[in-house]
Amino acid sequence: MNSTDKPKLFLSVIELNKGILFKVANSYCKDGEDRKDLVQEIVVQLWKSFERFNDQYKYSTWIYRIALNVAISFYRKEKRRKQLSNPLSDGILNFADTNVISETDENIWLLQQFIAELKELDKAIMLLYLEEKSHKEIAEIIGISETNVATKIGRIKILLKQKFSSR
Amino acid sequence: MEDTEIINLWKSYDKKLEENLLFNKKNAEDITKIKVQSFLSSMKPMKIFIVLFSLVWVGFVDILIFNIFDVASPFLLVSAAIHILLTKLAIGIYLYQLILIYQVDINEPIVATQEKLVRLRSTTLWISRLLFLQLPVWTTFWWNEVMLHEWNVFQWLITGSVTLAFAFAAIWLFFNIKYENRDKKWFRLLFTGIEWNPLVKSMELLSQIDEYKIENDLLNPVKNSTKRS
Repeated sequence: MNSTDKPKLFLSVIELNKGILFKVANSYCKDGEDRKDLVQEIVVQLWKSFERFNDQYKYSTWIYRIALNVAISFYRKEKRRKQLSNPLSDGILNFADTNVISETDENIWLLQQFIAELKELDKAIMLLYLEEKSHKEIAEIIGISETNVATKIGRIKILLKQKFSSR
Repeated sequence: MEDTEIINLWKSYDKKLEENLLFNKKNAEDITKIKVQSFLSSMKPMKIFIVLFSLVWVGFVDILIFNIFDVASPFLLVSAAIHILLTKLAIGIYLYQLILIYQVDINEPIVATQEKLVRLRSTTLWISRLLFLQLPVWTTFWWNEVMLHEWNVFQWLITGSVTLAFAFAAIWLFFNIKYENRDKKWFRLLFTGIEWNPLVKSMELLSQIDEYKIENDLLNPVKNSTKRS
């Protein structure tokens, strides 16, 4: 890959997987401004790591690994990140219709609430489960065994069912 | 709600996002042009500075001890030696943190990366423990033999009480500054503020990581024992 193709390829990969960036950021950041910063931080780190992308994995696996790693680390930075220089004033992801998020149906809202309440690592597993990733792929992204993935998903699903049945 | 219903619900959300989410190519493109810092590189300069500054300090005190060894009061020598020993241990921890910073790779699986990040932050508690352990030597370095002969009981009572109080506080803090005490009032009082809150949260994540690893070992005992051997 030559130096002019690299940014082009990177941007097309990001554009194709923009939904992942939003879903991860939305699950780990409730505040809109923080979410914008988090998406930017994820894109920065993806770009930094792009050269080392290992093509034995899918792009989505690589994006999930970095996005989740950044998101889990990002919340701990808290207010300090606001003091860091922010070269881009606008967000990388925007909505054509700004009411999309606020008008989502009640069940989606409940599901998002449930995800938001999970612990950081369980949250990552839940996101990957909802994306219908195989146990093998989830195990590769999280770094645990497939058996452990199955156990964790089983437990999270029980909690999820309780949440939906208790409303 | 059944599994398929939940997955379909998520798919409908995904579809809505795909239809409405706009990618600002211009802003993303700008990122590819600016010089960006890697994940933890902002932490490196300060840690390197602290290590270098501390090395100069311990080198200076080492030379000082060596040169005044025959004439200095034993109280000063012992106090300085304890201070230097603990400072060298703290430098060792800073060096360990620098190694961890170089090792962290966010391309790696989540549990491995987060564990390194959390250990990096939690070793900061060890530095605090060592620094607090030095407390009593700051009350003894100025003692001398003249005091031993000329001071009355009252003077010794005050000086000794201060040193004993500092020693007690130092030892108590050394053994009690730990994750398990994060919810205690005194801990929150000592470790509060922008710099410390992420540390406390990191420690909370550490318990999740440990739990994941323990379950991994329990569910795959043969595989993991082979890997370890």
